[in-house]
Amino acid sequence: MDGMSASAAGAEIRSDIPSVDVENVSVRFGAIKALSEVSFTVEPGTIHAIIGPNGAGKSTMFNVLSGVYKAAEGQVRFGDSRLDQMRPYQIAGIGVARAFQNIALSGGQTVAENLMLGRHHLTKAGFIAAGLRLPRATREGKIHGERVAEIAEFLELGDKLHTPVGVLSYGDQKRVEVARALCTEPRLLLLDEPVAGMNAEETDRMAEAILEIRSALGISVVLVEHDMGMVMSLADRVTVLDFGRRIADGTPAEVQVHPEVIRAYLGSGDEINPAEAAEAAATGHHSSETPGTHS
Amino acid sequence: MSEATATPRGSTRIGAPAGGRSAAPRRSFLRPLILVVLLVVLLALPIYVEEFWLRTGFAVFGAIVGAIGLNLLVGTTGQLSLAHAFFLACGAVTYVFVSGDSGGIGLADLSGLGLPPLVGMIAGVLVAGLAGLLFSPIAARLRGIYLGVASLGLVFIGQHVLNSWTSVTGGFNGRSAPEFSLFGFTFGNRDPELFVVGVPFREAERLWYLGLVLAFLAYLFARNLLRSRPGRALQTLRDSEVAASVMGVNVQRYKARVFLVSSMYAGLSGVMYALSIGSIAPESFGLELSILFLAMIVLGGLGSVGGAAAGAVFVSALPLVFQRYADVVPFVGGAGEGGLAPGEAARYFFGLAIILVVMFEPAGLAGFAGRFRRKGRDPGGGRPTSSSSAATDSSTTSVPSDRPAQGSTS
Repeated sequence: MDGMSASAAGAEIRSDIPSVDVENVSVRFGAIKALSEVSFTVEPGTIHAIIGPNGAGKSTMFNVLSGVYKAAEGQVRFGDSRLDQMRPYQIAGIGVARAFQNIALSGGQTVAENLMLGRHHLTKAGFIAAGLRLPRATREGKIHGERVAEIAEFLELGDKLHTPVGVLSYGDQKRVEVARALCTEPRLLLLDEPVAGMNAEETDRMAEAILEIRSALGISVVLVEHDMGMVMSLADRVTVLDFGRRIADGTPAEVQVHPEVIRAYLGSGDEINPAEAAEAAATGHHSSETPGTHS
Repeated sequence: MSEATATPRGSTRIGAPAGGRSAAPRRSFLRPLILVVLLVVLLALPIYVEEFWLRTGFAVFGAIVGAIGLNLLVGTTGQLSLAHAFFLACGAVTYVFVSGDSGGIGLADLSGLGLPPLVGMIAGVLVAGLAGLLFSPIAARLRGIYLGVASLGLVFIGQHVLNSWTSVTGGFNGRSAPEFSLFGFTFGNRDPELFVVGVPFREAERLWYLGLVLAFLAYLFARNLLRSRPGRALQTLRDSEVAASVMGVNVQRYKARVFLVSSMYAGLSGVMYALSIGSIAPESFGLELSILFLAMIVLGGLGSVGGAAAGAVFVSALPLVFQRYADVVPFVGGAGEGGLAPGEAARYFFGLAIILVVMFEPAGLAGFAGRFRRKGRDPGGGRPTSSSSAATDSSTTSVPSDRPAQGSTS
């Protein structure tokens, strides 16, 4: 509800959106260090991309941000909250939402039902109230159903509200993922490869939607993405991971010409003309099928 | 950009609910009608059918309650439980103990509280719930098949307690269940004598109505639950625990809660079972009963409340019907005759049915019903398939022009 009122104000930065401070986070799986001492800051209201070759630790970072993995060392702060000490559902409760890369929707349920799950932490009806259909449970469902329909409309899913998710196209399902995350009225939105596997047109629509979400709601967006073109055009800031370490952090323009980044993406920077390499990295030709050492 | 986006969002406020409403009536007309017709038939049945069917009916209603409860846990949440028989036993024993009288019948010295049967029934539900609550910390931490194995232990504990705690359970020989009564109205053969349109309403007729009411309430509660916030959380939890927790669902708490609710359903089912048989005995609450309940929900359709009810009708009524019509049904003989015993024949039948269901219609009887509905609707309205294809068509073609149009209206 409060998200909507902010939309009128446009792209102004909302005062209730704190920065995300990731400090020296390390994650280990047995002997393997998936992340080692990674730090970065997501400024309020920005689109922050995390990129890197396969296995760089991007998804691990996301799992730390959403509480699915525990960091062995380091801190993740979101305003006054320590995300690294909270359970996933508690993190959702303070306004951190996540859209999954490999779609994690309930295929047998309709779009509306999937989206209503996003309202879980905003609603209260328990087993008894729901089972007995107490008036407050019914009223609550109706009010939140309207908001869900609104968000579905925003992501062009309005006409599919009562369609089972399982029969939707891949691109539509990806949009339902994003819509479900939005339904939690987040202050921080985590998007895990929102355009992976999409065609050019769907990718453009998604990119447009992400920009609209940021400008209309004023929330921070953290994005893991392989599509370099999209990252470079959307992101305000980019953190580059490789082998679980942060190798670069800066604006898209800075990161693009960073020698470590070029090396990570092209295998070795020595024999290659840096300008060419940077361009290759920017257009994303080599990003998805990273050649050389890391794949 | 920001101004342009603000306007369509404003306009969707008005547009969205209308779109939602237009699609909603799809399921809100035919189903309640069928339900009402079914209820009227069930209400009128005692006037026309003989006692055997009414007694079978009450047993079936009891099974329906239990199957709906198990389906909430197994079908909806994806948590396997083999302990359902244990929770039925909790309900049944509590009812018999709380409402039964003390006395030394035969070898055993029985104790009982002699409280009104309604109190006994409620206590049965609560004690089963308490047992479920005590086990729920384990249920909350285990997933799927692991919970199934852990819950197996409860069945054996239950068997031991039933056999050895003689003063309460009656021990190996069991103990008879007190007649049900409600505020002085007994569900027995007389006291008061009752006639409805010339038909004497005796124990079987009265219990039929009791069962119908309880099963219907159990059905409504579960259906409401599944269609609302907790139900959605449970279904997502089944499909992906990580997704559920990231969306704000306290996974452990929900697993514990649904286990509690399921055990309370089992408790009520156990009370009805005791009333239906008229007595309780340890051998009734063995592992086989748990398996039968699993058969009910697999046949009926995992996750579907109506399916669980249908599966319960099928599984619990079939042996009784075979027994009754042993001379008519091929290969089945009565006691002491050649051929299969009715119970055995019914088991072969379930086995075959389960194999067929798993192979051809994993959604069970509920899936068959769904297919039938879709077929019936297609030629006339052509709703689900064609509407969804039309929807995808419109999204691919009209979307680019959609936005400016919306923006310009406001």
